[in-house]
Amino acid sequence: MKRLIWKLLRTHISAPQLVGFSIANLVGLFIVVLAVQFYRDVLPVFNDEESFIRKDYLVITKAVTATGAMLGGAGEFQPAEVQQLEQQPWCRKVGRFTGSEFAINATIGLGNSGKAMRSQFFFEAIPDEFIDVADADWSFDAQRRQVPVIVSRDYLSLYNFGFAATQGLPQMSEGQVSLIPLSFTLSGNGLNETLPGRIVGFSSRLNTVIVPEEFMRWANDRYGDGGTTPPQRLIVEVSKPGDIAIEDYMTTHHYDVAGDKMNASKANYFLTLIITIVIAVGVVISLLSFFVLMLSIFLLLQKNTRKLRDLLLLGYSPRQVSQPYMWLVLAINGAVLLVALALMLVARLYYLPMLSAMGGGGASVWPAVLVGVVIMAVITAGNLLAIGRKVRSLWIS
Amino acid sequence: MKTITLYNTLPAVFAEREPVPSQVWRCEVSFERGRYYLVSAESGTGKSSLCSYLYGYRRDYEGVMRFDERDLRSLAVEQWCYVRKHELAYLPQDMKLFAELTALENVELKNQLTAHKTRREIEDFFERLDIADKLHCPVAKLSIGQQQRVALIRALCQPADFIVLDEPVSHLDEQRNHIAAAIVDEEARRMGAGVIATSVGNPLQLTYHSHLEL
Repeated sequence: MKRLIWKLLRTHISAPQLVGFSIANLVGLFIVVLAVQFYRDVLPVFNDEESFIRKDYLVITKAVTATGAMLGGAGEFQPAEVQQLEQQPWCRKVGRFTGSEFAINATIGLGNSGKAMRSQFFFEAIPDEFIDVADADWSFDAQRRQVPVIVSRDYLSLYNFGFAATQGLPQMSEGQVSLIPLSFTLSGNGLNETLPGRIVGFSSRLNTVIVPEEFMRWANDRYGDGGTTPPQRLIVEVSKPGDIAIEDYMTTHHYDVAGDKMNASKANYFLTLIITIVIAVGVVISLLSFFVLMLSIFLLLQKNTRKLRDLLLLGYSPRQVSQPYMWLVLAINGAVLLVALALMLVARLYYLPMLSAMGGGGASVWPAVLVGVVIMAVITAGNLLAIGRKVRSLWIS
Repeated sequence: MKTITLYNTLPAVFAEREPVPSQVWRCEVSFERGRYYLVSAESGTGKSSLCSYLYGYRRDYEGVMRFDERDLRSLAVEQWCYVRKHELAYLPQDMKLFAELTALENVELKNQLTAHKTRREIEDFFERLDIADKLHCPVAKLSIGQQQRVALIRALCQPADFIVLDEPVSHLDEQRNHIAAAIVDEEARRMGAGVIATSVGNPLQLTYHSHLEL
């Protein structure tokens, strides 16, 4: 039955018109999904939001002054200062950074083949409650002795854009760095032991090397001399991160807040603006192509009016005679959607390496796919509705 | 469907004309299932209009037309589709065949919808009407008389309470007229259907129960 109806109704289908529509819609849809995907991929580069440490945590240090540096000890937070901080209305919780009381040598690379980088190193720890990593990843077992660390993202940028670029070394993404063998040689108290390490993640707000508090206690007991130094930095959970009172307090006490991302947030604003404009352009193109398809199909229905009427006279329902056109629209729109998504994924392969070197690119593709599907669903629904109405209008001559 | 009734019906375009004597327009007329009616008329008296009103694709008439108790104007699209597949068989005067399809494909287009006849029965019709060699010939290449026979076969590919034939044999000779009539008679008897045939001078050779002048 479908074969004969299709044989009748396919006449007057204009391939150039349908191809024109498909290309226009493809371009529009491709722009939209790529813009959405690019925005999501590039966002982590600008955004200081990260999974390890929440936005309402501030890391504060004392401003380093020339006199303070000469006298020594001026950078440390005294218990009275911490107490005063804790009493501020906007302060929920204060955590102290614990330093390592022993010597550390880090070895990065394949230790056996000799191609390794060694460097003196340091560790800091903050209370686990401030760190947002799965417990299994962020624990230390005195039997297995593997040390998980969170490293400042700035170190990676320093390597990628400062060191690697000028020394002819390959740039590395965060994922790649995490795969490189890493070990720490800890010495003190007459002991000299090497422990494997593992990079759990990168942070752009903790400008240091963080290890679990549990490990720090164990290591300080084992290699340290038992003395404790007051913390150089504090981590503070605040109720309202943008509160002007916090800024005032920090200024009057000469405290620095680490990772001030003013510039990043401006860039972020312009990025959002530009992406919004691009998406709007894509949507307008898609909308125009929608009308091209409508025109093409209306023309087709117009040319086939007599046949459609005669089919209705034979007892075919309006639904049955509009079906071939509906399938046509579904097939074209489905193909356009698939091609647009495929093109988006291909285009993404071209910018991903660059982005991942800068700390972006990890976003899921599903939101962009969803946007594409929704736009296409709306366009298709409009097309199908119009076809249905047009065919029904042929009922009475 | 048992009866088709017309109450004071008149094509809208005739409303302003001088009333002409008619046994159909502006009368109460009933067509009964199982009976054969010949509606004869001169051209331009609304014969094809009557058929298109009955088949639901024109509504430009005054008065009321009913299938049993159902007013034709009240039937929804889905109900008309049902009528066209199960209750009313119709051969339009202009046949409305699809020129780009073959004779058989034209018939199949209807039969697929109703699954009323087997391929064998359809081929039998073609044979009896002497167009067996035209089965796979595009309709565009058939003569009007051949097309008329194809259209008649297509009209009979459905169950029906009434068979409405608008000048079904205007282009057939005496002998083929008789064959067509015999086939219509067989089908109508088998289904207990009524036949309403129109004519402008060359009627289908049935034994009519009633003869109306339009």
